[in-house]
Amino acid sequence: MTIGIEIDGTATEVAPGTTVLEAVRALGGDVPVLCFDKRQDPFGACRVCMVGVQGSPGPVAACTTPCREGMVVDTRDATARRIAAATVELVLSELPQPPAEHTELAAVARELGVTGELRWPGEQHAHAHDERHPYLALQHELCISCGRCVRACDEVQGAFALTATGRGFEANVTAGLDAGFRESTCVSCGACADTCPTDAITEMSLLALGER
Amino acid sequence: MMGMSHNLVEIVRRHHEQDAPTALEVLKEALEDHGEITDDDRRVAAERSGLPEAAVYGVSTFYDDLLQPRGRRHVRVCTGTACFAATGDVHVRQLAAGLDVQLGERSGDGEVSLAETVCLGFCHSSPAVRDGDTIDAGPGVVERVLEGTTRAASEPKPQSVLDQPVLLAPAHDWKGLRRAVSTRDPETLLEQVKAAQVRGRGGAGFPAGTKWEFARNAPGERKFIVANGDEGDPGSYIDKVLMEEHPALLLEGMALAAYAVGADHGFVLTRSEYPRSKPELEVAAATARAAGILGPAVLGSNFSFDVTIVEGAGSYVVGEETALLACLQGLRGTVSARPPFPAQRGLHGMPTVVNNVETLCNIPLIAREGAEAYRALSPGGPTSGTKLVCFNERFERPGVYEVPFAITLRDLCEDLAGGLVDGHEIKALQIGGPLGGILPGWKLDTRFDFEDLEAEGCMLGHGAIVAFDETTDIRALATHLLHFGAAESCGKCFPCRIGLRRAHEMFATGTPVDRDRLEALLETLELGSLCAHGGAMPAPIRSLLAHFPEELGLA
Repeated sequence: MTIGIEIDGTATEVAPGTTVLEAVRALGGDVPVLCFDKRQDPFGACRVCMVGVQGSPGPVAACTTPCREGMVVDTRDATARRIAAATVELVLSELPQPPAEHTELAAVARELGVTGELRWPGEQHAHAHDERHPYLALQHELCISCGRCVRACDEVQGAFALTATGRGFEANVTAGLDAGFRESTCVSCGACADTCPTDAITEMSLLALGER
Repeated sequence: MMGMSHNLVEIVRRHHEQDAPTALEVLKEALEDHGEITDDDRRVAAERSGLPEAAVYGVSTFYDDLLQPRGRRHVRVCTGTACFAATGDVHVRQLAAGLDVQLGERSGDGEVSLAETVCLGFCHSSPAVRDGDTIDAGPGVVERVLEGTTRAASEPKPQSVLDQPVLLAPAHDWKGLRRAVSTRDPETLLEQVKAAQVRGRGGAGFPAGTKWEFARNAPGERKFIVANGDEGDPGSYIDKVLMEEHPALLLEGMALAAYAVGADHGFVLTRSEYPRSKPELEVAAATARAAGILGPAVLGSNFSFDVTIVEGAGSYVVGEETALLACLQGLRGTVSARPPFPAQRGLHGMPTVVNNVETLCNIPLIAREGAEAYRALSPGGPTSGTKLVCFNERFERPGVYEVPFAITLRDLCEDLAGGLVDGHEIKALQIGGPLGGILPGWKLDTRFDFEDLEAEGCMLGHGAIVAFDETTDIRALATHLLHFGAAESCGKCFPCRIGLRRAHEMFATGTPVDRDRLEALLETLELGSLCAHGGAMPAPIRSLLAHFPEELGLA
């Protein structure tokens, strides 16, 4: 049994349980994402994968919305794109510096046209660096609480070394009891750095280590 | 639920089967024992609960109670909306100055600490302060705290306007449960509750019978009933009255829900801000157990049901059902995307009904007297049953009242609550909690019902009615509401986590607020947020923009 839906004017059939994001991607399309990593369960936090659905009171997050029979999806819906862009603008406003050009965050900002002056400037994350591990570095000020590192450590690696911390604007991540990766159950696999969309967690390359 | 770790939930489930405490319970014990949480406490909590140390660390940095430093004397000042309406937050500044300690801090010598709390549920007698274990409230409270002569404030005296009170009946007889387990099968009870058209009283108004049916039909080894007693709405003390004065009614409602959906255990999540709730419910449960009403053979039938009472640790968003389930499992109280709904995958991954306390308290009458009798309670409008409302200290006769739906706010505010004290006038009302819109004083002829209030950009919500008098500074009110919104954001979804902070900053700075930018931010919150916290915090701000724009300091 399959579910018939329409995405950007193209009719398609998907298996029950397929999310809108999976259906969009199966057709070769895409929508920007920040908290989504296809190796992990959808999380629904970043609200950047918003799409329009005919008859819905507002845009929906493609990553956590299951396809329903007869659904008509517009990945270019103006309201959905406006909300996604505004959300990315908010994210940029909490970082003390613009994201590095090669990061996913920078790419998503470019795709959504978030450039120039920010409409809602305000409090930014304070600089706090944890470089106690030989090659995993955590720059807390670059963390956007997408939860990808925590889920990589939980779902992919099973090490449970990372956690979300704080609440509201103070939300962030840390390893173990906040005493660095080495004092935690971290197995140094690097899955967290691999999935991080902002370089908040990075693997210091041998080259960079040589320069220290 | 998408976003709650399946691995952590499974760890919690397996340890629960071995009667292990949750990490949150262990951390709360440590706090009660020595006033702060150390890394050793976190290691012990990890050991006993089975959670990884990192996850315990995450929990310990989420809840207010675990974060606030405690002195030997710990003073918690209520910064709820009723207290704001009473003093404009003057009581907060006076306490900080008098105790010589900043809000959220502990004195250098460790003697005294002052923390914000929202809300203590003494809104009929604001402002309220909790000094150690004593909650004092009303005129002179600040002076008494500073003199060290605090005394327990009087509890509200609830009243019903009905000839036969439903939710506030003076005596409790378990007749509904007795009738159900002896003469009806579960399907019949479920059909009755559906026919009674019970709408959820927690705020969203979702039909309880439909929710029960989902849970009944969902596959699962076990099923659970969860009573949502996390009545966090500032200005609301309805569930407080039900849990503390009518605990058996709630337990009967839970047992009926369990019978209808095929559950064998229930949990009540109470608030740490209401220290009496958990003990009162535990006494009522023990009494019911001793009488053979709860336990392995409910009233001699082959239906088995018992309850566990769990106290939270300070978080408004834990009132959202997925966050509530996270808290019950001792995890960080963050919201998860739905589907799957709790009725499919809830506590310990099992089908779970999460109903508000008042919703469950509506069920015994339906089981006892039937759906027709229940629907007849509110003859004037579309909604069945009765509603508890509560009024803040600005009113002449504040308190909790049981009323029919569809009466006007004028009847409620003027006839029942007697208008405002000292000849003050109602400038505006906030109805149904912090996510409810604000009704200007010139619209009191609006009917108190779901659709009527929605048409005014307001909501029935949980039924709190907070009046602001003519002296209220509207910009200060907007700042107050957004401070609450930002402080209570769980931090999971980006629009709420950052957007409420920015909205608060726009008003708190004192500079003119750019209306276009504000409205674009409100739209992002409304359409982008994961749950109703970020989604509806703009509602009262929209009301103020519509009715009092000249008082907001807009550019």
